[in-house]
Amino acid sequence: MTASAMAASATTAAPAAPMLEVENLEQRFPLRSGIIDRLTFEGGRPRLVDSVVHAVNGVSFSIAKGEVLALVGESGCGKSTVAKSIARIYTPSGGRIRIDGEDVGAYGHRAMLPVRAKMQMIFQDPFASLNPRQKVRDIVAEPLLEQLERRGEARAKAKAREAAVALLERVGLNAEHAGRYPHQFSGGQRQRIGIARALSVNPGLIIADEPVSALDVSIQAQILNLMMDLRDEFGLAYLFISHDLSVVNHIADRIGVMYLGFLVETAPRDRLFSAPRHPYTRALLSAAPTIDPADRAVEIELEGEVPSALALPSGCCFRTRCPFAYDRCAAERPTLQDVGGGQSVACHLIDEPERDRP
Amino acid sequence: MDHQTAPAPLLDVRDLRTWFHTFSGTVKAVDGVSFTLAPGEVMGLVGESGGGKSVVGFSLLGLIDPPGRIEGGEILLDGEDIARASEERLRRIRGREIAMIFQDPMTSLNPVQTVGAQMDEMLRLHTDLDEAARKARCIAMLESVGISRAAERLKAYPHQFSGGMRQRVVIAIALLAAPRLIVADEPTTALDVTIQSQILRLMRRRIAQTGAAMILVTHDLAVVSEMVDKIVVLYCGKVVETGPAREVIADPSHPYTRGLVDSIPNPRDRKPRLAQIPGAVPDIRNLPSGCSFRPRCPRAQAKCAEVAPALAPTRGTLSAACHFPIVEEIAMTGGERA
Amino acid sequence: MGQILASQFVYNWRRNVSAIAGSAIILACVLIVLFGPLVAPQNPYDLTQLNLLDSYKPPAWIEGGDPRFLLGTDGQGRDVLSSILYGTRVSALIGIAAMLMACTIGTVLGLLAGFYGGRLDAFIMRVADVQLSFPSMLIALFLMSAFGTGIDKVLIALTLVGWVVYARTVRGSTLGEIQKEYVQAARVAGLRDAKIIRRHVLPNVLTPLIVIATVQVGTFILIEASLSFLGVGVPITQPSLGLLIKNGFDVLFSGLWWTSVFPGLMIMAMVFGINLFGDFLRDELNPRLK
Ligand SMILES: Nc1ncnc2c1ncn2[C@@H]1O[C@H](COP(=O)(O)OP(=O)(O)OP(=O)(O)O)[C@@H](O)[C@H]1O
Ligand SMILES: Nc1ncnc2c1ncn2[C@@H]1O[C@H](COP(=O)(O)OP(=O)(O)O)[C@@H](O)[C@H]1O
Ligand code: SF4
Ligand code: SF4
Ligand SMILES: [Mg+2]
Ligand SMILES: [Mg+2]
Repeated sequence: MTASAMAASATTAAPAAPMLEVENLEQRFPLRSGIIDRLTFEGGRPRLVDSVVHAVNGVSFSIAKGEVLALVGESGCGKSTVAKSIARIYTPSGGRIRIDGEDVGAYGHRAMLPVRAKMQMIFQDPFASLNPRQKVRDIVAEPLLEQLERRGEARAKAKAREAAVALLERVGLNAEHAGRYPHQFSGGQRQRIGIARALSVNPGLIIADEPVSALDVSIQAQILNLMMDLRDEFGLAYLFISHDLSVVNHIADRIGVMYLGFLVETAPRDRLFSAPRHPYTRALLSAAPTIDPADRAVEIELEGEVPSALALPSGCCFRTRCPFAYDRCAAERPTLQDVGGGQSVACHLIDEPERDRP
Repeated sequence: MDHQTAPAPLLDVRDLRTWFHTFSGTVKAVDGVSFTLAPGEVMGLVGESGGGKSVVGFSLLGLIDPPGRIEGGEILLDGEDIARASEERLRRIRGREIAMIFQDPMTSLNPVQTVGAQMDEMLRLHTDLDEAARKARCIAMLESVGISRAAERLKAYPHQFSGGMRQRVVIAIALLAAPRLIVADEPTTALDVTIQSQILRLMRRRIAQTGAAMILVTHDLAVVSEMVDKIVVLYCGKVVETGPAREVIADPSHPYTRGLVDSIPNPRDRKPRLAQIPGAVPDIRNLPSGCSFRPRCPRAQAKCAEVAPALAPTRGTLSAACHFPIVEEIAMTGGERA
Repeated sequence: MGQILASQFVYNWRRNVSAIAGSAIILACVLIVLFGPLVAPQNPYDLTQLNLLDSYKPPAWIEGGDPRFLLGTDGQGRDVLSSILYGTRVSALIGIAAMLMACTIGTVLGLLAGFYGGRLDAFIMRVADVQLSFPSMLIALFLMSAFGTGIDKVLIALTLVGWVVYARTVRGSTLGEIQKEYVQAARVAGLRDAKIIRRHVLPNVLTPLIVIATVQVGTFILIEASLSFLGVGVPITQPSLGLLIKNGFDVLFSGLWWTSVFPGLMIMAMVFGINLFGDFLRDELNPRLK
């Protein structure tokens, strides 16, 4: 925790209260399955086991006001789950989530409502994230409408719709689009609608879960530009989730690398790309294809695949694929350690650098 | 990569037109696409969604279903026009001469048959090996794509494999009958980067070993630049640029390709704003007059609205369909790299 | 999708003979339901208009027929055509009303089961499963023997028989919809569950119900006719088509066939039309595999 807090203050001048502070976030999902699937035999005796997905296992980080923190990692490593726990789509199984200083981890629906004016979310799928039966103006107005109704304002609906039309123009659509349905728009335009919806309550933090992954490159560039313009204009902080390192390199101030529900490394952007420390980060950078052959520095090539989140390996989460793994890695789980320069790494090699050789 | 003295092409696609006659109008998904492929050559078919990449792939395999139809053009495989071949003939060509690898491995694997049965069927159809020989071949093939305990895995069903493993199985099946051409449609798009890099490495190695030619369909220029010899860029069903991969990506001459390359964030040359192509791909049923790229093109002039540009040599080894191609070496990002 | 679908829908409809035939029959039935009593030559419930001397007249085109009674008369001298016009109204309205009730209840239960899951879901779905393991007719018959006759009782019985199919369908679609990001977006916007269900889930699970509801009206008309035929359906004062058949059935084999055959044909036509149209709807609205 302290490490990432320091990292945050390294990139912002005044160490004001962070916009978002996540401490030891845990999210488990019990898998509800039929009796037959749960039945196992141990020593000849039948036993019912409840399997649990360990989606997020003690993740800590913080985001300063106006900062962009990117989370990267392969699919299933828990990026979206972190996002959705913070957005309180899920109720976290453990840990603390402080938004603008307020711990919202255990808030109920009613207590959460005012917090939702400070934090909104942009989703990955431009098709599934908009209700096909709602007009664009109502989609965009929805979060604001809830806030206006909470405050008991008169003419809430009309006000929210007016604001929605103005927002559509801000994100590059126009007022005529307000009365249309989502299917009449292209993927990029739909993503703009989703961004307008998130902006409607004028939040300080936007959680963006792979906002450009479903888009073509030329459209992806448009949306990234728009998001950066909006950050400058409204002082937004982003939790930006992506699996695309070139996108992250472009947009992030700081980057966290996740593997199997653990945060294995966090560092300021340039440092992460120039001096990655964790073996997984290094493998990820090696694997990413680039259009520029000169950028290609294959250091670690990974074999095998990510283990199941149903049965985490003992010790280090990465040891089943790590080329450096040794006995300590199976016995002891490494924790994030500050290695200076705002970088923190969860790997035993930090203590035993002489082993960092294939 | 000298094109003039290239060997006789394995595949020669001439003016291919594949249209879909839908209720709301004719979708000219592929409208006059031509390219050639030499034996052993790896070609990338790139462009944004809806450009017609997959339809070209399906056309090559005769997999276009109504309301779609190959309206015209020729697909010459070793001189034989397979655009007009009978279904009977196409069945023999598929798998044996041309194999296809899809984005979602589940679409090409039968979920209720073991992997072994599916591989065996392929060999039964296209070879006259006896059972023991077929089994040995299957095991060897699975091992060659990096699947351990292959004899055991033959009895497994596709859902018992992870996504990356399934794609390995699909590749193994595709390579079984030693086809001369492999069409791979976004073979790694559904996979994670570390798995993608494993699969790409595997495909590159196996294809080099077997000497097959490959068409790699993808929207990812980075993947293309690591894999292919030659690139064909599609936009709205037409070829807009073609040339050796390195040159096309380093310094394209068509404004669309230029825009595509520039919209990819470049870590070496980070700008506050990315270069972006304005607007979006037009509705293919309702294309602008003249050049389809005109409404988004920074170089467009009056002529572009009147005459559709034809593919012609522009600079060096590149050809583009553009009245005002980028002939000067701009090399904004490309030059530093050279 | 609205406009495209609408126009494509019409386009396909115009090319589908059975869809057109089905629609024509349904339209005719609707006209009968709306205006039947106005054009009926006689009010069959008004005893003062009946004359016993007119009893058992055959249809007008048969020897001994009376031009006043196009389709003949029954034992009380009641005009069969008028009875059918009135009876169609009773049958159709029962079918539609029961369908609406079943659809409402089934949809609400399906939404709750799918949205909240857990015990509530398990309970609702077990009840549904048990009910599905008996034929609807048997359940309806059992309920009617327990309740006694009456239009209200028929409606209740049909509703209890019919809700299950909606509940199961809606639960399935709800499970699919709540996975989608727009429902999560509604949570992030701060909407209460009730609002999410009403504004987001409900409108997106209705489409498949249209087909079920259409076909169910036909099924209900048949069940009601069967119940009435067996004497446990509507009361004699408001005869439905089923009751008309029953009344005529006693004399059917003495050659006085018209009193039950014409109401029977009417039911057949009505249900046939509904099913033709239902089949067309199913092809059109089902997730397109084209
Ligand atoms: N069965 C079909 N019926 C009607 N139109 C079709 C059909 N299949 C493809 N098309 C149209 O043909 C055009 C080209 O489609 P295609 O799938 O080849 O694009 P692509 O370049 O492979 O895109 P992507 O990157 O999304 O896979 C699109 O406009 C598409 O809508
Ligand atoms: N609602 C859920 N129920 C059960 N498991 C879940 C649920 N959501 C996510 N998971 C599991 O949690 C892990 C992390 O998922 P996710 O956060 O979506 O990963 P990412 O966004 O990094 O691809 C995966 O193993 C996934 O299957
Ligand atoms: S702790 Fe061990 S297994 Fe984990 S990343 Fe470091 S060296 Fe590899
Ligand atoms: S032909 Fe004209 S509009 Fe088309 S790409 Fe070239 S310059 Fe642009
Ligand atoms: Mg995700
Ligand atoms: Mg495609």
